[in-house]
Amino acid sequence: MSRSEAVSEVPAKAARVRCFTDELPLLAGVAAVLGGAVLLMAGDNFALNILATTFLMAGLATAWNVIGGFGGQFSLCHGVFFAEGAYLTANGVVHLGLSPWLSLAPAAVLGAVTALAISWPAFRLRGPFFAIATMTFSEVAYVLANYFDSVTGGAQGIRVPYHAGWLNMIFPGRIAYAWIMLGFLCCCLAASLLLLRSRLGYYLQAVRDNEAAAQASGIDVLRTKLLGFAISGGLTAIGGSVFMMYVRVVDPPTLLTLSDVGVRFALIALIGGVGTGYGPLLGALLVVPLEAWLRASVGAYVPGANLIVLGAVLVLAALFFRQGLAGALDRLLARRPGRRGAAAA
Amino acid sequence: MSTLLSLRGVSKRFGGLLAVNGVSMDVAPGELVSIIGPNGAGKTTLFNLLTGQLTPSTGTIALRGAEINRLPPQARARLGFGRTFQIAQTLTTLTALENAMIGGFMHHRDLRGAAARAMAALELVGLQDRAGVKGSLLTLSERRRLEVARALALEPDIVLLDEVMAGLNPTEIGHMVHLVQTLNDGGLTFLVIEHNLKVVRQFSNRVLVLHRGAMLAHGTADEVLSNPAVVEAYVGKSRQ
Amino acid sequence: MASFAGVLLAGVLLGGIYSLVAIGLNLIFGVIRVVNFAQGEFVMLGMYATVVAYTLLHLDPYLGMLLVFPLLFVFGMAVQRFILQPLQNEPMMQIFATFGMLMLLQNVVLAVTGGTAVSIRTPASGLTIAVGPLQVSVARVVALLAVTVVAVGLQWALHTTMTGKAVRAVAQDRRAARLMGIDVERTYMLTFGFGAGLAGVAGALLTPIFTLTPQIGGNFILPAFAVVVLGGLGSVWGAYIGGFLIGLTEALAGFYLDPALKQAVWFAIFILVLVVRPTGLFGVVGAEEVGLRVQE
Repeated sequence: MSRSEAVSEVPAKAARVRCFTDELPLLAGVAAVLGGAVLLMAGDNFALNILATTFLMAGLATAWNVIGGFGGQFSLCHGVFFAEGAYLTANGVVHLGLSPWLSLAPAAVLGAVTALAISWPAFRLRGPFFAIATMTFSEVAYVLANYFDSVTGGAQGIRVPYHAGWLNMIFPGRIAYAWIMLGFLCCCLAASLLLLRSRLGYYLQAVRDNEAAAQASGIDVLRTKLLGFAISGGLTAIGGSVFMMYVRVVDPPTLLTLSDVGVRFALIALIGGVGTGYGPLLGALLVVPLEAWLRASVGAYVPGANLIVLGAVLVLAALFFRQGLAGALDRLLARRPGRRGAAAA
Repeated sequence: MSTLLSLRGVSKRFGGLLAVNGVSMDVAPGELVSIIGPNGAGKTTLFNLLTGQLTPSTGTIALRGAEINRLPPQARARLGFGRTFQIAQTLTTLTALENAMIGGFMHHRDLRGAAARAMAALELVGLQDRAGVKGSLLTLSERRRLEVARALALEPDIVLLDEVMAGLNPTEIGHMVHLVQTLNDGGLTFLVIEHNLKVVRQFSNRVLVLHRGAMLAHGTADEVLSNPAVVEAYVGKSRQ
Repeated sequence: MASFAGVLLAGVLLGGIYSLVAIGLNLIFGVIRVVNFAQGEFVMLGMYATVVAYTLLHLDPYLGMLLVFPLLFVFGMAVQRFILQPLQNEPMMQIFATFGMLMLLQNVVLAVTGGTAVSIRTPASGLTIAVGPLQVSVARVVALLAVTVVAVGLQWALHTTMTGKAVRAVAQDRRAARLMGIDVERTYMLTFGFGAGLAGVAGALLTPIFTLTPQIGGNFILPAFAVVVLGGLGSVWGAYIGGFLIGLTEALAGFYLDPALKQAVWFAIFILVLVVRPTGLFGVVGAEEVGLRVQE
């Protein structure tokens, strides 16, 4: 059977398309700048804590962006995978005496598998209804986390005892945590960029833009969404694991409060630029320090002031900055001659 | 003559409406079959049955002798169906090249391979200079040609074109007719929904006339267009 | 046996509360196709407005309702006009915007009140009536009766009044409605205003029952979403009956399994419905899919 030789015979002109290897210099540059910031702040524990949190949230928002941004599936249940990673690591350390490093890969697998199990029924719904369904998953996980206290420590939470050492991922200084979080962020960015410059990444974007066209192009829409969700969930669970070792004590509200966790990832991605490679990082660089500053300054007099500001930023960003910081940066760069259309992504 | 695609008594019912009513036909490899008929005759429904957006209520659709009635659209695309939509389904956040690459990925897992295939398809429809432009910024005519490019990038065995000439200017129509004819001469099979009878006459091997879901006539363009029943049902009032 | 009847009664009364919150949510959802994540906060605002009216004007919550409804109606119209209308074809951004409102409203009230819990004693709040061997809270019975009146009234208004017909026309086909001369934007504003007003009414009716905190909206919004998905997206009766299903499930699960797991049980039902019948029990087939589709 002729596979339409007429088409195949046309000489294929070398088409310019950005590959993952083209992304590496910028990624290395970003990692170097952020690493420089860590070195610069060495000794200042307050600043190092903010940096570590920023990197963690940037990595988690990048992970969310894989399904929420590239795939356009507005998940609000990423707190579930985050919590799973944290509880898995904590149980490994407390009950089995395992090094937290060994729990990272199992956490990713657990997150990915849960993501598949959760999203398979939820993907019967679209858009806002998908968001509602995932929001429900998150709330139920909260109920279950409180209930199964043998695993989670219930409402009292679960605590990892302090035994400093590399193997235990516990350090007397804060700077080590900044490096670990930076490592997590770089993993997430690399995974996200690799995906963006791959067939699956393009398939996810096609599904987001137009399901009918995607199907007609041979894309299995459900499979594509499930894969994207699994990758996103797996990365998020790793984030939960390192978070566990960073704070060493967690309870269900820390891990599963909707507006502090699941929604926060999405919010940071939106403010930074949904669906772009570096948008979530930009969002975290703005939101996390801003919040820390608000909490420290106004928060003392006005309870919830940081959330008032964040809520207002969210509404305003939705109204006026739909492409987020990455979009604004892109437009700024595009205005310069010679950089027309260059994507910040 | 071997058969590529065969329909036997294919019907589709929407509630009380029989949108497609007992259509049977065979398409041989390398043929170019036009489907014409007044608005609401069931042409697009027939296309959707062929490409899997809809499943037939009764009847059988077979590709190379194998029944494909219940296969979803993506599976049919993998079997060799390429299609365009009546309303262009552009991926608005992706560039024209990336739109075509979505098709190109079918047989090329790697980025460069898919991009090369996509670029070749864009050149065929004359969009090579617009490769880097976002889908949302393309004109209606460009979007229609992009549909064709995406379908061709799939390297399909049979292409279904749903009114691709609509919205194109005469020069662009000329190019499109030429493109379809060239690809058809190269062995690619086409099923075409087209309102422009001049175009239909120009490139069809065979013409199928649908009227209220049923096959009214079937034959060469000249036979069909001079058939009194067709003239009455379809061309009667506005013969060109 | 008496305990079983007691559980059923408690479930029905709880269901009335859930229906009350869900009806406004489902109206907004069914017509404008916006999922209003801030609906629980609208209820919370209604409750605080009722308390303010009670404290300053000595208005009983059931009379305060008459003040709270127009207040939230206007507020809802403004939200639709200035926040949601500009985002009409951006469903993702609408989610963000309503979630932003949720955070904003919750924390503004937190900042203003300082977070202290408030409860008021009204003639209805402590009152119970005896139904056989059972003691029933009058305030909960009033809420149940009120939601029934609201459901019947809303259904009637949607099917007989000119405005109601316009609302239904817009819900079914925005473009066709526009071609028929219906002012779609105005209809949306009215609908959102009405949905917000209903949230206010719910707040007023619930004030004698619950202790107020700025976070109380969160207790209602999730059951309300479950009601909407279970009962049927965009259906008045779906929201009404769905509320009782969720309420009864919660009461039965709380009694026979474990109170800590009651939410997990309605969640299981929720998933089952998603898989078996994503349109809900009374929803229009396909309604769950049009959410993201641009209609114009």
